[in-house]
Amino acid sequence: MTPRILIVEPHEDVRKLLELSMLRLGYEPVMPVDSGFGDVDAVVLEPSWSYGRTLLRQLGDDVPPVVCLSVYPREAGLAPPESVAYLVKPVSLAKLGDALRSVCGR
Amino acid sequence: MPLRSHARRLARTHLVGGLALIGLAATFGSMLGFKGTTAIGVVAFAPWVALIGFDAGLWAGVSTGAASVGLWLLAGSHEGMHTSAVQIAVRVGYLVLLGAGTAVVGRRLRASEQAHSSVAALQSALIDATVDGICLTDADGNILIVNAPLQRLARELGMPLEGTVPERLLAVAPRLTDPERYRRRMTELAQAPGEMTSDEFELAGTGRVFRGFTAPASDESGRFVGRIWTLREVTADRELDRMRDAFVATVSHELRTPLTSISGFLEMMLDEEEGLGDAGRTYLDVIRRSTERLHHLVEDLLLIAQIEAQRVELDVAIVDLPELVQKCVEALRPAAVEKGVELEILTEGAPTVRGDRHRLTQVLDNLVSNAVKFTDEGGTVTVSIASNGGSATLVVADTGIGIPSDEQGKVFSRFFRASSATQRTIPGTGLGLAICRALVEQHGGTISLESAEGEGTRVTVTLPTGT
Repeated sequence: MTPRILIVEPHEDVRKLLELSMLRLGYEPVMPVDSGFGDVDAVVLEPSWSYGRTLLRQLGDDVPPVVCLSVYPREAGLAPPESVAYLVKPVSLAKLGDALRSVCGR
Repeated sequence: MPLRSHARRLARTHLVGGLALIGLAATFGSMLGFKGTTAIGVVAFAPWVALIGFDAGLWAGVSTGAASVGLWLLAGSHEGMHTSAVQIAVRVGYLVLLGAGTAVVGRRLRASEQAHSSVAALQSALIDATVDGICLTDADGNILIVNAPLQRLARELGMPLEGTVPERLLAVAPRLTDPERYRRRMTELAQAPGEMTSDEFELAGTGRVFRGFTAPASDESGRFVGRIWTLREVTADRELDRMRDAFVATVSHELRTPLTSISGFLEMMLDEEEGLGDAGRTYLDVIRRSTERLHHLVEDLLLIAQIEAQRVELDVAIVDLPELVQKCVEALRPAAVEKGVELEILTEGAPTVRGDRHRLTQVLDNLVSNAVKFTDEGGTVTVSIASNGGSATLVVADTGIGIPSDEQGKVFSRFFRASSATQRTIPGTGLGLAICRALVEQHGGTISLESAEGEGTRVTVTLPTGT
């Protein structure tokens, strides 16, 4: 089964890029919608987006592993506790793929 | 005969005496500070004063025939009377001249005194009206002159009112944010009286920042005679710096979002290169290079902002310096080959250093890429590593365009670019060496630069070794 990756990103262009990137890397991109987004295997999150953190809380207590992809460095202290990887934008497709593979196992 | 002889003697004595008097008068006038025509006033009365002495000698001295002169005055002979009349006339004339001369000199002295007093008042008003607190101390640090702003700042800083300036400055240490650093600087200063120094310190809990500057004062022979101290509050300047840094950081972070889109979609397009024509590939290559430049600029701006805010944390470990140099040089070799610049490594020993591998790589990248960038085709860039007691030395030397001598002191400042680079329109931001210096110093090392325009540049870095 193809891992489902929730994309929580405020900028439309970057969101579109991440959607295409997920497809290229062999994952199923999931966009947050009001009706919910079902079970996901991992989250790619811009942690500086406050609404993104609110969305993360909607996942309940069982939050999947989070890959932070941010314009701010790790030292900014924005990463949520569920964060397992932290990447700073811009990032290459290869690096993003490495981070997701370490989270999803493939 | 005695009278004639006396007259001759008198005339001769007055002639010789007169000449001597002119000399004395000139000297006297000069000692009083008179020059040119003013000295005439002095000359006018000085002969009279001296003449009294001469005449007293004449009257009292046996050789001048005191008895005959006394007789000459008392007897009232025709010749004697005539001479006496002349003598009286001469004395009256001298009295008049003396009065006039004294009046002239008195007036000059009064005018000079007023002028001096007026200049002193203006000088005092001048130093009191400056923004900076200023004072002049003697060689022992005792205050000779102090202006009003310094007295005010000293009160605000809680400085004691007694003691030498170094003692008063040291007394402030406990009220500052970094008292140890401040005490260390004060001690260094006390040990180097000939040095000119400039330091900033912050008053704890207030946000108020002050910049102190001190320079030695020398006399005409160059002997150290004291020190000039200035103190300025730079709180507003630092606040502006903080706002600028915050602005730069915000803009730089915001630039990362469009950069993500540009570089991400560019990567995808380059993956589909087969569908592109030659022109399309060329265009994409231009976009790629420009994006990389923009990315580097953003990274440099953010790093310098982090450094300024002292937010760079080092992940310290033992680093094999020759191995690190090898990797950096190999990464930059394609650019050197493309430019026709020879790139070589000279290793003496295999020093390991204690440092952050990522940050040291940034330093090396900056230094070696600068050297390649500023060296023309056919030139050489040499990276040397050596172990020297407790430190490792890294030298990046090139045979490039060099830096004018009057600009070399500014090369480690943010955004500074040498005129030799801007005239040749060699791209750059002027941040590389500022970043290098900050990172090297954070590692407890030093960095220095020597350069000769048209001959090349040599940057030397020392780092503490570690095992």
